[in-house]
Amino acid sequence: MLATTENARDDRAVKILLIEDDKQTADYIGKGLREHGHVVDRADNGRDGLYLATGEQYDVMIVDRMLPSMDGLSLVKAARASNVRTPVLFLTTMGGVDDRVTGLEAGGDDYLVKPFAFAELLARVSALARRPPMVPVTSLAVADLDMDLLKRTVTRGGKRIELLAQEFKILEFLLRHAGQVVTRTMLLEKVWDFHFDPKTNIVETHMSRLRAKIDKGFDKPLLHTVRGAGYVIRAE
Amino acid sequence: MSSARLTRILRSASFRLTLFYAVLFVASAGVLFATVYITATAAMQSDMAAVLRSEAYQLAEIHQRLGLPGLAEQIARRMNFRTRGPIFYLLQAPNRRVVVGNLPGMPPVDGVVDFVPQRETQEPDLQPTMLTGFGLTLPDGSFLLVAQDANRLTDMQHAIISAFVWAGGVTLVLAIGGGLLIGSNFLRRIDTITRTSRAIMGGDLSARIPVVGTHDEIDQLVSSLNAMLERIQQLMDGLRQVSSDIAHDLRTPLGRLRQHLEDARERAKSTADYDAATDAAIVEADALLETFAALLRIAQVEAGAQKRGFADVDLSELVRSVAEVYQPAAEDSDHRLSYKVEDGIHLQGDRPLLAQMISNLVENALHHTQAGAQVALSLRKAGGGFAIEVADNGPGIPEAERAKVFDRFYRLDRSRSTAGSGLGLALVKAIAGLHGLSIRLEDRNPGLGVIVTA
Repeated sequence: MLATTENARDDRAVKILLIEDDKQTADYIGKGLREHGHVVDRADNGRDGLYLATGEQYDVMIVDRMLPSMDGLSLVKAARASNVRTPVLFLTTMGGVDDRVTGLEAGGDDYLVKPFAFAELLARVSALARRPPMVPVTSLAVADLDMDLLKRTVTRGGKRIELLAQEFKILEFLLRHAGQVVTRTMLLEKVWDFHFDPKTNIVETHMSRLRAKIDKGFDKPLLHTVRGAGYVIRAE
Repeated sequence: MSSARLTRILRSASFRLTLFYAVLFVASAGVLFATVYITATAAMQSDMAAVLRSEAYQLAEIHQRLGLPGLAEQIARRMNFRTRGPIFYLLQAPNRRVVVGNLPGMPPVDGVVDFVPQRETQEPDLQPTMLTGFGLTLPDGSFLLVAQDANRLTDMQHAIISAFVWAGGVTLVLAIGGGLLIGSNFLRRIDTITRTSRAIMGGDLSARIPVVGTHDEIDQLVSSLNAMLERIQQLMDGLRQVSSDIAHDLRTPLGRLRQHLEDARERAKSTADYDAATDAAIVEADALLETFAALLRIAQVEAGAQKRGFADVDLSELVRSVAEVYQPAAEDSDHRLSYKVEDGIHLQGDRPLLAQMISNLVENALHHTQAGAQVALSLRKAGGGFAIEVADNGPGIPEAERAKVFDRFYRLDRSRSTAGSGLGLALVKAIAGLHGLSIRLEDRNPGLGVIVTA
C-alpha cells in the first residue's frame, strides 16, 4: 500500500513502549510498528509497564486504558510523578468525551478509540515522537510556501495567497507537522475540536480548496494525499 | 375467617400494635383501679370512724350530764329510731353486765375496732356480719361501744371491682376485635400490593395498584409506587424499542458486510476484486462501529457523565466556525449555507459535544433538503438566554412526526433509503438535555426550523 511506503520513508526509527494486555491487539500493533522500522517494547500489565516506562528511555508510550494490576490512568499519573516526560498515546474502547478529558488530565498527550485503522495509529505515534519543541514560532515554511503567524498571511514564491479562516487553520496545522502524515481524524480533532465522525466530507472539501489555492499554478505540488491514511505537506 | 387468615391477621403489624395498646390500656386501668380502690376504701373507713367517734363522744357527754340511767335511756331511744348510720350499741356496767344494747357483751376495747359479734340469742337467721365499732371506757368504768355495719365498705369495694372488671373486659374485647378488623383491612390492601407486584414480576408491566381514595398513607404509598411503575414501564418500553431497533438497524449492515466477504471469497478473480470487496466490507464495518459509538455516546450523555468536563464555551465562536467548516461541503452539494451570529454569547458546557450538536443539526438540514436549498444557521440573544436556529427551505417534517424525530433510530419514511444512522437527532436531544437546553421544531412554510434555546 502507498501509505506504507510514504511512512517508511519519512520516519526515522522511533523507540516505542506498548502497554496493552490484549495479545491480539498488541501483536497487531507491534508487528505493524516494527514493519515501519520502529523499535517496540511490550508490557501486558500496568506494573511491568510502569517499571519499563520509568527505567528506560522511550520516544512514545502507547497505553491501553484498561490494564490488569494497574490501570492506564494510574500508570501514566505515576510515570509523570517520577518525571517521565515521554509523550503518551492512550488507547480506549469507550470513546466518550469524558474519557478524553480524564486521559489528558492524567498526563496523556493524545488518545485513540478502539478499533482504529493502523494508519491512524502510525500517524499519531509519528506526530507524538516528533513533537515540535514548545517554543513560540512566528512563521512556518515548507519549500517556497511561507506562513506569517503574526500578520496572518500566506505567500508562495513571494505571491500572496488569500485563505479563509478555516483554511488558514488547516494549513497551519499541516505546516507544524510538515513531512508527517496527518489523518482526517487528526485534522477534525486538533483543528476544529470535532470529536466525532461527520457524515459530510468537510475535511475533503476544505482540502481540495486549499490545494487549489496553494498548489494550482505552481509546478511542484506541496500538499499530497496519502491513500488510506491522510495528508502530508512536503517539499518534494 | 379461615384459621390461616386469622394467623396472618394475628401476625399483622397493625393487629400487634392494637394488641400492644390494649395491654397498655389494661395496665394503666389497673393502676387507676388500685388507686381508686385504696383511696376510696381509706376515705370511707376514716369517714365511718369519724361518725362513730362523734356518736360515742356525744353519748359520753350525755353520760356525764345524766349518768348511766340517762345514757341507757338515750341509747334505747336511738336503737329504736335509727335506721341509718351507727345502729349497734353496747353499754356495759363496770362489772361487764350489759345495761342496754343490741350487741353481746365483750371485753372493753378503746378506739376503732372491727369485729364479728357472737349472736347466740338474737336473730339466729342473720348471717354474722362484720361490724366496725368505736369503743370508749366512760369515767365511771362502764364501757360504751357504738358500731356500724361494715358491709357498706365491702359493698363499695365490690362495686368498684365489678365496674373495673366490666369496663376492662369490654375494652379488651373491643381492642382485640378492632385490631382484627383493622389488621384484616390493612392486610387486604397489602395483599393487593403484593398481588400487583407479583403480576408485574410475572411480566405484566401495565398492572397498577388500585388507589382506595382515602388519601391516607397507604394511598400515598400506592400512588408513589404507581408513578414508579409508570416510569419503569416507559424505560422498559424505550429499552425494548431500542433493542428491536438495534436488531433491525444492525442486521442490515451486518448482512451487507457478510455479503461483501462472501463476494470476495467466491467471486473475486483478481487482487483488484479482492480490494474492492474488502474496502466495501470495511465501509460497512465502520458504519456499524459508528452506530455503536453513537449509541454509546447517547447513553453516556444521557447519564450525565460528561458534566465534569464543563467549562466556559464561546458559543458565538463555535457556531461561526461550524458554519465555516460546513460551507464548502454545502456548496459542493449545491446548497447555500448562510450564518448570522451575535457576538459574546457564552455558556458553561462541553465544547466538543456542543460542536457535535450544532454540526448534527446542520448536517441534518443539508442531508434532508434537495440541491438548491438554503440552510440558515443563526445564534442570537433571546429572553435571558440565547437561541441557536437551523432553518431550511426543504420539505419540512409533518406535524405528527415532529415529536418522534428525536427518538433513537427514528427515520421519516422518505429518508429510509438515504444513508444515516437515525441517531443524529437523538444525540442532539441528549446533548441539549445535558446542557439544560430545550429544542423545538417550527414550520418555516416551506421548510423546517430547529431552535435550541436556553
